[in-house]
Amino acid sequence: MKQIRVVVTGMGVVSPLGISLEDFWAGLVSGKCGIGPITLFDTEGFPVTSAAEVKDFDPGQFMHLKRADRAGRCAQFAIAAAKMALEQSGLVINDSNNNKIGVVIGTSGMPELLAEQAYIIDQKGANRVDPLVVSQYRASMVPSHVGLELGAKGINTTVNSACASGNDSIGTALRMIRSGLADVIFAGGAGANVTPLAIAATARIGALARGAGICRPFDLNRKGFVYGEGGAMLVLESLEHARKRNARVLAEIAGAGWSFDAASETSPVIPERIRSMTQAISDAGIDKSEIGYINAHGTGTQLNDTIETSAIKAVFGERAYEIPVSSNKSMIGHLGCASGSVEAIACIMGMENGIVPPTINYETPDPECDLDYVPNVSREWHYETCLSNAFGLGGQNCSLVIKRFED
Amino acid sequence: MKKTIEEKLKEITLRVTRMPDADFSGRTTFDDLEADSMDKVQILIALEEEFGIEIPDEEIISIETMGAFVEYILEKIAAKEKASQD
Repeated sequence: MKQIRVVVTGMGVVSPLGISLEDFWAGLVSGKCGIGPITLFDTEGFPVTSAAEVKDFDPGQFMHLKRADRAGRCAQFAIAAAKMALEQSGLVINDSNNNKIGVVIGTSGMPELLAEQAYIIDQKGANRVDPLVVSQYRASMVPSHVGLELGAKGINTTVNSACASGNDSIGTALRMIRSGLADVIFAGGAGANVTPLAIAATARIGALARGAGICRPFDLNRKGFVYGEGGAMLVLESLEHARKRNARVLAEIAGAGWSFDAASETSPVIPERIRSMTQAISDAGIDKSEIGYINAHGTGTQLNDTIETSAIKAVFGERAYEIPVSSNKSMIGHLGCASGSVEAIACIMGMENGIVPPTINYETPDPECDLDYVPNVSREWHYETCLSNAFGLGGQNCSLVIKRFED
Repeated sequence: MKKTIEEKLKEITLRVTRMPDADFSGRTTFDDLEADSMDKVQILIALEEEFGIEIPDEEIISIETMGAFVEYILEKIAAKEKASQD
């Protein structure tokens, strides 16, 4: 039996570079840095004072304010991205199709809200707990709010594999559509990580660039990643379903590969990153020579960037030096569970426009990171097929192969 | 006192239900404002904080109109004042 092909027919993004595909892409291409001083909370006494925040986000543009209250910032990003993706897809969701339209989101929800309410219990008693926390903090409520807004009644769930989640949700949705479980899945990720606890705790493990840090992936003097926030949703659809409704196809999700390090909570390993990439390539049914661009995980930590570089070289051999590899995180920061899905959109827009976004803040080459990272300036570059990596703290890895759509 | 309570209840209720332009009178019901149980609990927490009273969740469920709610709050405040005098 011929395998069901899965295509992308809509995309939406809420990012530190803008709240539309156009603004996001314009920012990436011009090498704009979305990182700046944290405004969402007072950073006095914090080891880190910068992040890539979403600016001027007005949830009321995308949803009723009561939904916004109940959703919280993380799910608000997902709802806004999903609605933009829906609009681009031209899909009409109604009683005739909603049972087979699902939502799969990579997210952690907003666990920080629990800490605030635990403090209220301690200070004021159990009766003062805000009931809204129930609908705001849970990861499961992120797809729930999106499904409520869309009226999508098919599978509605989350995946969480830390920073691999954004790819994982797309790969999982790919498998779900291939299996016939759903015709359409709104897949993506959302994260609102610019919070005191997330910043303080991640700084403690040494993963964040300290002070008013910037993100310098693959640079010799890289000091760690910088948190970002936002969300991205893609309308994934079986090719048959897209054809039936004459939808414009933006790209094909050709393959996904997963692996787990089983080595350490915090230190990545090369072999499993190789396996995540080779499995994605094999799942796509292509030869590795067809990969024309790699959207790197590229966090800007010492370990990630050398290990990712070594893994890419192991997969592609000498040809690794001929493939542009860039990190969007240099501009948008690390969007945690959302990063992979935001970067999938960058891959598709790059393919459409024949441009590879740069790795900015790149000044000093690192002998151990010696690939072509598209330093500082975007490049005209045509590719038909690309690979996008997302690797999670804890050891989860997920790579995607995304192709230009051809009948 | 009654006027203060009416004004505070209106402000809190319309803020929580996100219906700033809704009609609000003694005859307005929670249903008119599309308020569900989560809204009601938010409203009562805000009132408890404002007036220093305790409102059991189960008691608010039986209250339908804003007028009845104002009377209920007045009784709670009176009971609290009586208790503090005893």
